[in-house]
Amino acid sequence: MKVFAGFDINGQTHELGIEPHQLLIEVLRDHLGLTGTKHSCGVGNCGACTVLVDGVPVLACMTLALAVRGKRILTIEGLAGGPELHPLQRAFVDLGAIQCGYCTPGMILTAKALLDRNPAPTAAEVREALAGNICRCTGYVKIVEAVLAAAEKMRGREVAP
Amino acid sequence: MSGEFAVVGTRIAQPDGPAKATGEAVFAGDVRLPGMLIGKVLRSPYANALVRSIDISGAAALPGVVCVLTPDDVTDWNTFDRGMKDMPLIAGGYRIPPEEAVVNRHPRHFGDAVAAVAAVSEHVAEQALALLAVEYEQLPFVLDPEEAIKPGAPQVSPEAPGNIGKHLTYPFPSGDVEQALAEADVVVEGSFRTPKQEHCTQETAASVAYVDSAGRLNVYSQCQLAHLARRELAHIFKMPVHKVKVLTPFIGGSFGQRGSLCAEPLAAALALTSRRPVRLVFSREDHFTSLESRTGFKRVTVKMGFKRDGTLTAIKTDMLGFLGAYMACGPMASVIGMSLVMGLYRCDNRAGEADMVMTNTPPSGAMRGFGNEVMSFAVEQLMDEAAERLGMDPVELRLMNAKHQGDVAPFGLNLESTYLEDCLRLGGRAFGWRPKAEITSAAVEKGVAETKGGPRVRRGVGMCAMNHCSGAAPLYLEHSNAIVKFNEDGSVNLTVHPAPVGSHIWGALSQICAEELGIRAEDVNIVTGDTDVTLFEYGSDASRSTYAIGGATKRAAQQAKEQLLAFAAEKLDAQVEDLEIRDGVVYVAQAPDRSCPVGDLCYDAIYSFGGHATNFAGKQSFEPEWNSPIYGAYFAEVEVDTLTGRVKVPRFVTAMDCGTAINPMSVEGQIEGGLQQGLGYALTENYAIDPQTGVVQTTNYDSYKVPGSMDMPESTVLIVDEPDPKGPFGAKGVGEPGMVGIAPAIANAIYDAVGVRMREVPITPEAILAALADQDRE
Amino acid sequence: MYRLLTPFDYFEPQSVREAVELLARFGHRARVIAGGTDLVISMKKRQLTPECLIALAGLEELRFIEFDPVAGLRLGPLCTHAEIARSPLVREHFGMLATACNEVGTPQVRNMGTIGGNLCKAGPSQDTPPPLVALEAKLRLLGPQGERVVPLDQFCTGPFCTVLSSDELVVEILIPPLPPGGAGCYKWFTKVTVTDETLAGAGVVVVRGPGDVCADVRIGLGSVAPMAIRARKAEALLRGNRPAPGLVWEAAERAAQEAEPRSRAAYRRHLVKVLVNEAITELWPLTADLPGGLG
Repeated sequence: MKVFAGFDINGQTHELGIEPHQLLIEVLRDHLGLTGTKHSCGVGNCGACTVLVDGVPVLACMTLALAVRGKRILTIEGLAGGPELHPLQRAFVDLGAIQCGYCTPGMILTAKALLDRNPAPTAAEVREALAGNICRCTGYVKIVEAVLAAAEKMRGREVAP
Repeated sequence: MSGEFAVVGTRIAQPDGPAKATGEAVFAGDVRLPGMLIGKVLRSPYANALVRSIDISGAAALPGVVCVLTPDDVTDWNTFDRGMKDMPLIAGGYRIPPEEAVVNRHPRHFGDAVAAVAAVSEHVAEQALALLAVEYEQLPFVLDPEEAIKPGAPQVSPEAPGNIGKHLTYPFPSGDVEQALAEADVVVEGSFRTPKQEHCTQETAASVAYVDSAGRLNVYSQCQLAHLARRELAHIFKMPVHKVKVLTPFIGGSFGQRGSLCAEPLAAALALTSRRPVRLVFSREDHFTSLESRTGFKRVTVKMGFKRDGTLTAIKTDMLGFLGAYMACGPMASVIGMSLVMGLYRCDNRAGEADMVMTNTPPSGAMRGFGNEVMSFAVEQLMDEAAERLGMDPVELRLMNAKHQGDVAPFGLNLESTYLEDCLRLGGRAFGWRPKAEITSAAVEKGVAETKGGPRVRRGVGMCAMNHCSGAAPLYLEHSNAIVKFNEDGSVNLTVHPAPVGSHIWGALSQICAEELGIRAEDVNIVTGDTDVTLFEYGSDASRSTYAIGGATKRAAQQAKEQLLAFAAEKLDAQVEDLEIRDGVVYVAQAPDRSCPVGDLCYDAIYSFGGHATNFAGKQSFEPEWNSPIYGAYFAEVEVDTLTGRVKVPRFVTAMDCGTAINPMSVEGQIEGGLQQGLGYALTENYAIDPQTGVVQTTNYDSYKVPGSMDMPESTVLIVDEPDPKGPFGAKGVGEPGMVGIAPAIANAIYDAVGVRMREVPITPEAILAALADQDRE
Repeated sequence: MYRLLTPFDYFEPQSVREAVELLARFGHRARVIAGGTDLVISMKKRQLTPECLIALAGLEELRFIEFDPVAGLRLGPLCTHAEIARSPLVREHFGMLATACNEVGTPQVRNMGTIGGNLCKAGPSQDTPPPLVALEAKLRLLGPQGERVVPLDQFCTGPFCTVLSSDELVVEILIPPLPPGGAGCYKWFTKVTVTDETLAGAGVVVVRGPGDVCADVRIGLGSVAPMAIRARKAEALLRGNRPAPGLVWEAAERAAQEAEPRSRAAYRRHLVKVLVNEAITELWPLTADLPGGLG
């Protein structure tokens, strides 16, 4: 039985007919074509499908779509909000924190939620915040560096050379 | 060394970075086509069985189901070898049955495909799968390679008598090993065991296929070897090669697994049957149960002989590996491991052999390191043991036996550049490596409760050396191509077909191209991903892309540059030899006022009314005859909790002689990523098969644990930036080596900490405690 | 495992009363969904295919963290693990619970999963039951017949089994305050990686009484039995005695014997011994500095 529900995704409202058993990841990828949210493990271990719901990182592959209607949903496509990359995206690109790129959207969104809560994290705090996002390419080294560099930039200072 | 280059050696951002950071990058599973169906695969729940019948009536009647494929429906097509490795090899080309069918009447392992469906949505496809009723006849099976080679064991394949899939010998034997061992002053030996390891690409295997109105089969493929995939797909579906087009989207990790066909044959079969586009995305469970994982070895026995002064005189190895139910790429892991590790040190007497055994388990194949990690785990621990017996520092023992320029390298070629010594010294200095006695006395002081005889948590340090290859010449086909075309604004299009698996290869090739042409890397557009457009490319494996495709790129750029300079010489009234290109401008040497932007020259040549119109372009085929070995040294610090057996690795240093680092940031990234996979291999990743049933027990990340951000050590990467005479601008390949030396360095550090030799990976806490208990008893 | 779910009816009750009515109406055909982190996986695996889901997420009345020095801590079952782990009240008064909540799953799972859902799942390998059992937490249940309060160690009856009837909801988790001189901690050991499931967990409360003896001790063990258990024989060894190292070790060994692990049994038992020993050794000196700790 379809339910018509309003979704606030990346600042836009979408009225969609949704079946109760549909997951948020289906709505994003299949209804709206927002394929930046990735599917990987399906059991809540890898973080590839992470999106922000009211600013909090949650897993789109384990969230019922109807459960988040009316809430603010941010996917990777909505992060930059314009042609300029978000400082986190910029830092990930410039510092080599992206290899295959499949974990990148979830990684960046998880990092955004961290920096919103804690604008000056330590490397250990970054590692802790990213503990639910598996990366098989980078060893996390450049990812942690990029998050720290973006944090510094977002705090209004220049990135160290 | 990079000082002499303008573009090479700089830490440029990757051209595909923004697309990946914004979600714009299209991976196979992101492809959406009008009318597209979703495919799903039904897999065997048994280790060995025959499909007696499949009742498809329930599934076929379900609204939205467009096609169901059973073994009866695929008999017109050819069976195939997913490893596609039937080209000549030094070790003997092979394409050995049993080959697979698209779906199998005789599933030979848990997870083997027996049927597939395509439906209008994933929901319907999942429902249809649940409605397929299969009647199986279970057959006897064998899982353990040692059991499999015993007389009377169930036969995995009639074509592999005694279940010996392949017997291989070390291709470059020398001397008389037995005699050398008999005459050696010190002999060390050990038997080791290494597991399957799943690649755990973050994107699961996926493919989209459709038949276009011209009757051509179009396949979005993650295959690292796109042109070989095209050839193999043409073979399977009995089509001429030109009727198949392979498209390469972004690939969410590969690490060797996509060196074989994965989802492509099934997606193509469903598309050919339904005549609709079909997207097939494997689940994580599909991955663990059906794709190739790292070739495991039940037993690797190594014997090494030394003179009293530390000279290595003999290495003898004997390997028993398991291939699983299909041959795929697995057998080569033994030959590559033997060749690389026995080629690391000077040693006059070398021999080795391997039995690669077929079992009713998911197939084995290539994964980063491809056998080198296995032999390194064995040999580098024995080197450590020998150092102790000889009273030498482990670094010094390696230094005194290391090969030098002019020695014969692995794979039988002459060594032209090796800086292992630099790696050992540089890495050792950064790590704070000291002679053994000092380390042991300075170590150890931590812990909550004291156990008898010392602190609860003990620190230790360990190291190892490594060499790997840049491509696999002369073992594998080595053939790369590149086209470099100037545009009228002075930018170029570089047409190549590496696999965009995340190795920063687009950036590296654009840097090589830009350096050769004297332009900026951002003015190189990469044209790729379509076998209709690209020239033949063997592909991206064996750490070869920068080295071999880079070699083709440099040569093609050089050819295009020659045309440009000839044209410029005429324009600038100068000799070609006097011209040089810097920052996109052609200058006449000693006459800086005589110059012309590259863009103007290209424009004039293209928009020419004088009967001399030309588009500068170079096209070069390149077949490297070398594999310029890369060298590395690894240093690990560990903390072993003697009460719980848990091993922590707080610190790791890797020093790598990778030739010229085209982009040091990318080189570091490969080595840092290798550390994650090596750490998992050493300590956490335990691919488990139920010994009673053959059911794969680790099928997702909840049971198979890859290291997360909090598991990683502090990592230091040092690059020995010395150019190789053969690689493009001196580069060697660096894709795999990062992973290879991790486990042996950790194992050696564990010995240093608690005095037990761990012969099996992953090294579990229980195994540590058992070894400590044995030590107590002795 | 499948990637998607099969259809079900979906209800979002606007009050606890309405939720209970729905449960009474659908009984076993319904499942309650809170954070969904466990339920959705079970549904993807088709281990559960409920006809209808009753979603509690909108019930703000089930989301609270309150502390009273006499009554103790009152937790709404819809509080997520992340909320509890970060709560200053919880951290101040029941740090061991905050620690345990911070060990559940990954950060994302902690943001989604609720303590009520976690307790109702009653899985053997969970982090919150060992400290809660040691803290003698109680659950307030509401059903059509009214309310009842059940101690947590009587709530679970086996792996994935509880006394909760199909028409009841957990509406509150009550944790009595620690007695004077009491301190607690949670110690755990993961299966493989840092964020992995817990292989053995111990929530321990120690109370120092007059005469510098252990007036009370409560040892909750997790992941080493079909459900979280109290190691009561080990507790009895310590109660009324000075926890000298030898005695602590003996009690830890006793606790290990009380464990009934299924897989990796010997090793899990060994870990129980290590963890219990570590917890008590660490806690005892702390209790000396607490008000009322010296008799």
